[in-house]
Amino acid sequence: MTADMLSQDLSLLIPELLLAGGAMALLMLGVFMKGEGANKLVQWLAVVLLAGAGLASLFLVTGEGQAFDGGFIFDGLARFSKVAIGVVAAIALLLAMPYLKAEKLGKIEYSVLMTLAVTGMFMMVSANDLISMYMGIELQSLSLYVLAAFNRDSLRASEAGLKYFVLGALSSGLLLYGSSLVYGFAGATGFNEIAIAVQSGPSVGLTFGLVFVICGLAFKVSAAPFHMWTPDVYEGAPTPVTAFFATAPKMAAIVLLARVLIEPFGGMVEQWRDVIWIVAVLSMGIGAFGALTQTNIKRLMAYSSISNMGYALVAIASASQTGLWALLVYMILYMIGVIGSFGAILSMRTREGMVEQISDLAGIAQRNPGLGWSITALMFSIGGLPFMVGFFGKFFVVFAAVQEGMLILAVLAVLFSVVGAAYYLRVVKTVWFDEGEVEFVPAAVSVYWVTRLAGLATVLLLPVIGWLVFRAYSVGLATL
Amino acid sequence: MAPIIVFGPLLASAFAGLFGNYIGHRAAQIVTTATVVLSAILSWIVFFDVTMGGNTYTIQVLQWMSVGDFDVSWAIKIDNLSAVMLVVVNTVSSLVHIYSWGYMSHDPHRARFFSYLSLFTFAMLALVTADNFLQLFFGWEGVGLASYLLIGFWYKKKSANDAAIKAFVTNRVGDFGFALGIMAIFSVFGSVNFETVFSAISNNELVTVAGSTLAVPAQDAALSFFGMSFNAIELIAFLLFIGAMGKSAQFFLHVWLPDAMEGPTPVSALIHAATMVTAGVFLVCRSFEIYELAPAASAVVTVIGAITALFAATVGLAQNDIKRVVAYSTCSQLGYMFFAAGLGLYSAAMFHLFTHAFFKALLFLGCGAVIHGLHDEQDMRKMGGLYKMMPMTWVLMLIGTLALTGVGLPPFTLFGMELGGFGFAGFYSKDMIIEEAFMMGQEGLFFGLPAFWIGVVAALLTSFYSWRLIFMTFHGSFRGKQDDYDHAHDSNWVMTGPLVLLAIGAVFAGAFFKDSFVGKDAFNFWGDALPAGPYAEGNYPEYADGYPGTSEYADVAHATDDHAAPTSDAASDDHATDTHADAGHGEAVADAGHGDEEHHGGHHPPAWVLWAPFIVTWTGFFAAIWFYLVKEGMGARIAARGGPLHSFLSNKWYFDEIYHFIFVRGAKGLGDLFWKIGDVRIIDGWGPNGVAGTTLAFAKRMAKAQSGYLYHYAFVMLIGVVGLLLWAQVSAGGQ
Amino acid sequence: MEIGLGHYLAVAAVLFTIGVFGIFVNRKNVIILLMSVELILLSVNVNLVAFSAFLGDLAGQVFALFVLTVAAAEAAVGLAILVVYFRNRGDISVEGVNLMKG
Repeated sequence: MTADMLSQDLSLLIPELLLAGGAMALLMLGVFMKGEGANKLVQWLAVVLLAGAGLASLFLVTGEGQAFDGGFIFDGLARFSKVAIGVVAAIALLLAMPYLKAEKLGKIEYSVLMTLAVTGMFMMVSANDLISMYMGIELQSLSLYVLAAFNRDSLRASEAGLKYFVLGALSSGLLLYGSSLVYGFAGATGFNEIAIAVQSGPSVGLTFGLVFVICGLAFKVSAAPFHMWTPDVYEGAPTPVTAFFATAPKMAAIVLLARVLIEPFGGMVEQWRDVIWIVAVLSMGIGAFGALTQTNIKRLMAYSSISNMGYALVAIASASQTGLWALLVYMILYMIGVIGSFGAILSMRTREGMVEQISDLAGIAQRNPGLGWSITALMFSIGGLPFMVGFFGKFFVVFAAVQEGMLILAVLAVLFSVVGAAYYLRVVKTVWFDEGEVEFVPAAVSVYWVTRLAGLATVLLLPVIGWLVFRAYSVGLATL
Repeated sequence: MAPIIVFGPLLASAFAGLFGNYIGHRAAQIVTTATVVLSAILSWIVFFDVTMGGNTYTIQVLQWMSVGDFDVSWAIKIDNLSAVMLVVVNTVSSLVHIYSWGYMSHDPHRARFFSYLSLFTFAMLALVTADNFLQLFFGWEGVGLASYLLIGFWYKKKSANDAAIKAFVTNRVGDFGFALGIMAIFSVFGSVNFETVFSAISNNELVTVAGSTLAVPAQDAALSFFGMSFNAIELIAFLLFIGAMGKSAQFFLHVWLPDAMEGPTPVSALIHAATMVTAGVFLVCRSFEIYELAPAASAVVTVIGAITALFAATVGLAQNDIKRVVAYSTCSQLGYMFFAAGLGLYSAAMFHLFTHAFFKALLFLGCGAVIHGLHDEQDMRKMGGLYKMMPMTWVLMLIGTLALTGVGLPPFTLFGMELGGFGFAGFYSKDMIIEEAFMMGQEGLFFGLPAFWIGVVAALLTSFYSWRLIFMTFHGSFRGKQDDYDHAHDSNWVMTGPLVLLAIGAVFAGAFFKDSFVGKDAFNFWGDALPAGPYAEGNYPEYADGYPGTSEYADVAHATDDHAAPTSDAASDDHATDTHADAGHGEAVADAGHGDEEHHGGHHPPAWVLWAPFIVTWTGFFAAIWFYLVKEGMGARIAARGGPLHSFLSNKWYFDEIYHFIFVRGAKGLGDLFWKIGDVRIIDGWGPNGVAGTTLAFAKRMAKAQSGYLYHYAFVMLIGVVGLLLWAQVSAGGQ
Repeated sequence: MEIGLGHYLAVAAVLFTIGVFGIFVNRKNVIILLMSVELILLSVNVNLVAFSAFLGDLAGQVFALFVLTVAAAEAAVGLAILVVYFRNRGDISVEGVNLMKG
């Protein structure tokens, strides 16, 4: 390996190097600087670092290709995902700052852990080998376990961390066991070699290995039936952590799942499509039905995220270019809706502290119209009600499924979205029509703007969506 | 000019309705009233222009809809018939607008009220100026809507809401028939335009009924309906009449009109006396070409009209609410118009419509003045002796009553002098209907004579209940609270002014317009729009000469002329013994004729026919004096004793109860059935509630599965792994 | 009898199963959960090394080394969370870990 090759390989890793080096530097900075100012500085540096890493993958990484003997890949999918993850993580950290300050959790470790988790996610979306995939997942997961229990003095938070850890470790075990089977039956750990092995014909061992891998990854995207941790962890973890959980890791895991299924195992579509089909339907169903009885808005968001991941899996199940495209659009719109919603949840602070019940939102639209409108727009968008952007996300997903002839899946997706609409509408109804007198203290600047901008984006992005539709339409015409 | 007449009120209504809150009540009142008054003045100009100058025209305002062969324009058709209606509608409407300034002066929602009034005016104008059935239907529904809004104007009153709904629903029944009629017209003639349809009928053109390929003459076209085949023209005429029955409150569909008195009194005067309820009569007259060729349907019109005239008059005898008496009177007078139209006496029907508008509006507004003066007291049993406190109202009401009962002196010759032949408005129009009905009966029209007799009896009853109203209200001793009596007062000039104008109409409209509507000028007056009527044709055929388009009527007139005289004589002989009138007068009048036409054979009813209404009117008057003045309180005692006849009448022949039993209860029962079994058990049970219930139950079970225990979660994961492995194997094995 | 790949795989599978069962059969102590997790990871290592030897490919052994490293880190994180939990709850029985449910 010459220095030339090394520098070429490393040039593809600029964002990861930035993040990893930055995390170390921030840790050092935090350790050696004392006082409140240190935390603040580290937080802002972390925000810059996260957003910078995302932008670096957009601007600094010029080429595309594989590095380190095929263990790492940087392609359009990775670039897109990294930008999205970096930016959304930065926003999540912005949301966290006022919360951490108010709850007296202002420790530099939060920013460092987030940076490390994002490093793991960047690895995940660029993984092109079972080993790098595993390392990425573990780097991300271990950071997230700690983040979930970040509020050490809270029983709920520590219970959330414990549950997440135990079940996450189990899922890692499943993933690893599957990986070992895949390695054994494909004869290699690299995705390129696995793809070649799969071409020569699927074996029972490979199928078994693949299903285990799918199960492990399904846990990370909180797809049913590996979703059980989600509501408890979302509820118990500090709210900004939950906001982070619901966005960036989901993006990384779903992209990883898509890459694993489509690149190395693209030749086994027939085997895995049925599995994904089941998982998708279960997720949509459980997400939709589970949310109906919830009174805690964070648990509601957990079920919402389970159900939304079901739709993302529908896009993956279609296993086509359209499906992949729909998946990315869907995830972006989903993250906008979710980060905005968590902004709204973080605005639910009374003089006594945070409140999390849906009933606390009763009649808030009268007292705080801006918040009311934002919640309305965001709920409509995540719920996929016409004609917010979220509707088009679901629309493209269903379209991709129909294109591949999966009519039953498409119909089920639509039906579950109807059930789901019920609980999003319930929130909106509470916000507008119920009587309540819970007074919220004014939200912090970052929380305020994230909520409002995300709420606006659900409407303002419509022209972009229109442009996408137009593009898709014209491309479709060209291929005809 | 015509567009201003029609659309002015619409603009004013929109203005007052939309901006009423901003510009204030006064501005809204001024705008609407000024516009309608302007419309009224312009429509009188149009009226004389059309009827004297013969200047008829149709303005195509815009194309409304065009679907395949179906092509409808929005038009303003100005012909003699619509000109008459324009005058009636706009005159009464403008007077009612002015009157309402006073009557509604304490209402906080005046702007809305005036907006509705103007909206109604517009809809009615759209109705009468239509040149096709669809626009007419639009106006028809528009007035229905305005009527609904105005009856329920005091929407906080439950009775007003109920009445509004009742009016609306009852009208729906009629409108359904009307709509079917329009569809039938379109399917037969391929057009809903008046000119196309009527010329096809009268020229017996070949038409192709929708669904068949064979062209047949229009008069022989057949439509099948529920598997039975009907003559198309008869069916159309019948269906259109169903619509007319609803709107004009004819027997079976009359139940809404008395209840509609829950609305403000000016509304009753405008809508439920002078204009909207006459829309049915207008419809029949407008389509007279259809009815002329539909003898069976015309017979139905006659029978229903006659029954209504009699029925409503009987009910009017026993009502105590002052407005309800007038309402039933309206119903009864509409019956007159219909049986006239059914007998082919379209010009007479229109004449009565015209005069009736004046004196009935006068009576209603007079009632309003009484009610207003007594602080919203409507029960006549709590009135009496008011002529001292409200002399002006008393005089005006007297005029209205005289006009309604048709007081006048039939022509007779005494000592060589030709006397009589004058009276109040109702004298000319109502007696004309009664006389012509007799003559049609003489000519062999089956229902002519029964209609005549019913007309006479109804006139007797009319006279009785009208005077009863006057006596109970204005004479005798006051039976209400003394306080009310002391504060009773005449209205101010805003309210009395319109009454005076209407009173002038009620006195002179008949005498002034008699020749034009049914007399020697009728040929010119109506032009193509309506046949001049047997009276004109029989007595003045020479005026028909030289007038284009009337030669056929002249022929008919001559034809009837030939046998009119002998049958008329025979009839007078037959009935000489059992008539109220002196037969000698009959001979005299028959010989003398009507003065100026004796040089012609003429077309005369016998004298007793002319005198019969006169006699019964005075009989009714004296009976009322006997019951309510001489033996004051006798009426009340009869009511108190409550014989079966009285309760039958005061309960309006139990129509409401029967309808309630059959339709309301039936519909409710059926609705309950559908609701309890169909909706609640089946649709809700299996549908929304079932799904919702199942969903919630499922959600609860899932929530229970989410137990919080780590080992449960892990177990579910394991199950998931094993299940997916198996599934992957099974589905892979299947390939 | 020669011990072949199949035997190694069988042992690994048994270990894996014991590990998984350890997680949901055990209702007493959270520490045992951590041990079960280790067991699962070790079974995977057996698999990897066996395959590596069978295939004559070093990647599997490298993978195993990574897994060992991560397992150590995982155990450290797990124990740290457990300590935090114990400090709040004063008890580490698995049955007690159900504050949040529904």
